[in-house]
Amino acid sequence: MPFGAFTALHLLLIALLFSGVLLPAGGRKRSGLRRSTVRLDDSSIYLWPLPKQYSHGSQTLTVDPDIALEARGPGGSSAIVSEAFDRYKNLVFKQQAGYAGGDHDIAKLIVVVASENDTLQLGVNESYTLYIRGASDGGRLSIVSEVSIEANTIYGALRGLETLSQLCIYNYDTKTIEVHKAPWFIQDEPRFSYRGLLLDTSRHFLPVNIIKQVIESMSYAKLNVLHWHIIDEESFPLEVPTYPNLWEGSYTKWERYTVEDAYEIVDFAKRRGIHIMAEIDVPGHAESWGVGYPALWPSRNCTETLDVTKNFSFEVISGILTDMRKIFPFELFHLGGDEVHGDCWLSTPHVKEWLNQHNMTTNDAYQYFVLRAQDIAIAHNWTPVNWEETFNSFGEKLNPHTVVHNWLGPGVCPKVVAKGLRCIASNQGVWYLDHLDIPWEDFYTSEPLEGINVTSQQELVLGGEVCMWGETTDTSDVQQTIWPRAAAAAERLWSSIEATSAGGLNDTVLHRLQYFRGLLNHRGVPAAPVTNRYARQPPIGPGSCFSQ
Amino acid sequence: MAGVSSAALLAGFLLSLSFLADGLNLWPMPASVSYGSGTLYLSNDFQLRTEGSRYSDGSGILKEAFQRMVDIIKIAHVVDGSLPRYGVLKGLRVLVFSADDKLNFGTEESYKLSIPANNKDAYAEIEAQTVYGALHAFETFSQLCNVNLTTNIIELHSAPWKIVDQPRFPYRGLMIDTSRHYLPLQTIKNVIDSMTYAKLNVLHWHAVDRESFPIELPSFPKLWDGAYSYSERYTTADAHEIVQYAERRGINVLAEIDVPGHARSWGIGYPSLWPSSNCQEPLDVSNEFTFQVIDGILSDFSKIFKFKFVHLGGDEVNTSCWTRTPHISNWLKNHGMNGSDAYRYFVLRAQKIALSHGYDVINWEETFNSFGKELSPRTVVHNWLGGGVAQKVAAAGLRCIVSNQDKWYLDHLDATWDGFYMNEPLVNITKPEQQKLIIGGEVCMWGETVDASDIEQTVWPRAAAAAERLWTPLKKLAKDPMLVRTRLAHFRCLLNRRGVAAAPLFGLGRAAPPHQDSCPKQ
Repeated sequence: MPFGAFTALHLLLIALLFSGVLLPAGGRKRSGLRRSTVRLDDSSIYLWPLPKQYSHGSQTLTVDPDIALEARGPGGSSAIVSEAFDRYKNLVFKQQAGYAGGDHDIAKLIVVVASENDTLQLGVNESYTLYIRGASDGGRLSIVSEVSIEANTIYGALRGLETLSQLCIYNYDTKTIEVHKAPWFIQDEPRFSYRGLLLDTSRHFLPVNIIKQVIESMSYAKLNVLHWHIIDEESFPLEVPTYPNLWEGSYTKWERYTVEDAYEIVDFAKRRGIHIMAEIDVPGHAESWGVGYPALWPSRNCTETLDVTKNFSFEVISGILTDMRKIFPFELFHLGGDEVHGDCWLSTPHVKEWLNQHNMTTNDAYQYFVLRAQDIAIAHNWTPVNWEETFNSFGEKLNPHTVVHNWLGPGVCPKVVAKGLRCIASNQGVWYLDHLDIPWEDFYTSEPLEGINVTSQQELVLGGEVCMWGETTDTSDVQQTIWPRAAAAAERLWSSIEATSAGGLNDTVLHRLQYFRGLLNHRGVPAAPVTNRYARQPPIGPGSCFSQ
Repeated sequence: MAGVSSAALLAGFLLSLSFLADGLNLWPMPASVSYGSGTLYLSNDFQLRTEGSRYSDGSGILKEAFQRMVDIIKIAHVVDGSLPRYGVLKGLRVLVFSADDKLNFGTEESYKLSIPANNKDAYAEIEAQTVYGALHAFETFSQLCNVNLTTNIIELHSAPWKIVDQPRFPYRGLMIDTSRHYLPLQTIKNVIDSMTYAKLNVLHWHAVDRESFPIELPSFPKLWDGAYSYSERYTTADAHEIVQYAERRGINVLAEIDVPGHARSWGIGYPSLWPSSNCQEPLDVSNEFTFQVIDGILSDFSKIFKFKFVHLGGDEVNTSCWTRTPHISNWLKNHGMNGSDAYRYFVLRAQKIALSHGYDVINWEETFNSFGKELSPRTVVHNWLGGGVAQKVAAAGLRCIVSNQDKWYLDHLDATWDGFYMNEPLVNITKPEQQKLIIGGEVCMWGETVDASDIEQTVWPRAAAAAERLWTPLKKLAKDPMLVRTRLAHFRCLLNRRGVAAAPLFGLGRAAPPHQDSCPKQ
């Protein structure tokens, strides 16, 4: 079989090149010569996303199916750590059924967490050090190896557990879980603090179970923000106690989220180190609000764009934000602000009259609306995020804390950071998952800092986000539309730019991504074939997961 | 244009009407249902009680299934609302009459489910011959419950209920193909879970084919060298796990080796099974080793797969490799056989091996079409080529499983759900003793373009349409599939809520939703 031959060749290469040698890897200080060595090295390392720095040897260690957790440090005793340990133990050991007994090299995992603070906020320290000691120590063979993860926060420990789980490989002949290429020394941290995925539950409702599955799969790729585009024109699925008629705008009474559901989603995500950023997209994408409160529409015939003239519009926004503030602890809140058309305002007599009285054009009214919504968000102790049209139209008026969310095209973040505002990159040409014709390579090579050379400005780019708009995506196809392409962006956002800038993607990255896609499949995530011409297409014919 | 849109409006209106009648949204429809107009509320501490049951549940099948049922009723919602004082259903009382929980072909699956009216401290009652009947009752019960998202309690509408139910056919199958694409263990378990929602009861595991040999068989340990890759394999422990996982959910696993025609991957580990290295299929009929390997495989199978049947394939055999390869062509001459004779010889000899391991044999229909009279009387013929085969098989006194490809092949994406629904296994078979020979039907998920990424939406919801055909009494099945469309759409949304990626009803198999809309309208 081709794969058998491939594996043998690899083993030979590894044996020749790396036997017993610890290679410096990752990091910024590599010379050109070493880089070419490391690239070979990279292609034999099946980790996704690639850690910042790593080195390894050539031993094979076995892992005890009853591996125990030894938690240390002020944060080590957190239930989030022990639950995550159990989760990963299941992931590693439940994908196959049989395990050989006997002595194993690795019987214990030490997790040391320095901080007992489990607050999850933007920029929380996600770094970790993973050390897998070899079985031989000082020339003497010792039976027990030692594995440790050291992190500043529990969230760093979670990232380390993910990396460790990817190093655990089932041996089908001996029926054991093995770590190859030990000893390992990995020092890792993300390049960007904001690594997002947008889910849209307005165009199609996604059941709570599905949202949880997506969150779980995000943790495998070390993404850390679920941008929940809850509401849009089509439906209003979330319960808002202050305005209890709002969710009458849901598709059906089954296609709804209760407040408890939302709490549950936030808690589930937090236990995986993932923020939930909620969005209400005002004033342009809010038609469904008026099903429960028709006064929010300019008129019955013209229902797009919330009525800018009424205080009630802003009271409802304030009520929603009051309720949501209790649910969503993340400091960022998305206020939308894209694709606002003033036609309804102009064609509705009382709105037009109001505009005249206030001496406003529709553009002025758009600005007035967005800024007033920003004030409400800030009053609720939130940092507003707005889609880029707000910046493009009246950027200098935006609150200085605003985070501008790029989507229309390239070149926006450089302008945003030049004005001193922060930016999230989601250029639709490369990072919109609903664009089925964007291949994984474009997701991978999209560089958020392109065109930004000043360090102080680079720091204003929080990161990036891939967007899964829901017009043709529901429970039946959301996962395979997201994966594996989101993973390509995830590595761009996590790994060092040196690691993600290698040329010849088909030689350097493709095989490792195919391997990660296989890992997702093994873990029950229906990630689509990597090399499909269009996203979420079925495999083109029979074949191995690792070649499709 | 106006006509079209008013028709669409009417359809939407009918849809919303059907949602008002919560109670009728059962899939598949039970044999007998009556109901009232009361509403019950499930206790937050919903109990399973089994006093008086002859079944001791030492293996925990019932208790685990009950817990699964409670979980899927809640479907990840927090259910902590305060209950009204009246109309609270405290739990389910289950009476199982048989102590035996061995699952096999023909295991009794009937059940009675009675849900009282608005009594105080009420329990619903389930009676079943076997624990597997009780599992079906749990599934039916779960479909009667809804989480009220305003009050956060579980409601059961249209009480009291009296449901008496049993399947029409004992064999209600779904085939998966792990040779064209490997399916991870977790994916297979997800498929098994989803089958229980539609009361399907046989997972036909087409484990091996020409493309890859993913399963470990201790008797011939190099066979799984024919896997696609190192990690696209099943250990025997994995196979045991799949069988056990399925059986605990009332699902039998039918294993298949498809000989001699679909077996090229066998020769990766044992090249002497190929006629020659240039001509690799079918298996070398002249080599005794071939039958030793089949014997070894079936010996290993018999320790893992306890179902009454094993599937021996036998379809699409092209004998030109035999006649073109010198040593086989000589062998044929010496034995006075042509290619067709050798095909028959191979199939019948494989049948004998299977029988010697205690299995009844299933073969694809070509074996019947070519030499039906010589097949073992313990053969079940598996139809696939087209309609009209079952009646010939039954007339010949053999048993038959219906899977005519034009209607029940899930990989035919242009075969739509209504065709799946209307495909009648007993068409043109009128004599009761012949009808009994049709043990059921099976929808087939061939794997050429199906892997872990798209199997669920290719299987569902179309497999559910066939599942009702196989479960529900003929007289209760709709004559016009449009009459069940809203109920099936509701079932697909139920699958979605349970985490199954069932595709919209509209469009071809596994099509994406065409535009934004509510789940039940798509």
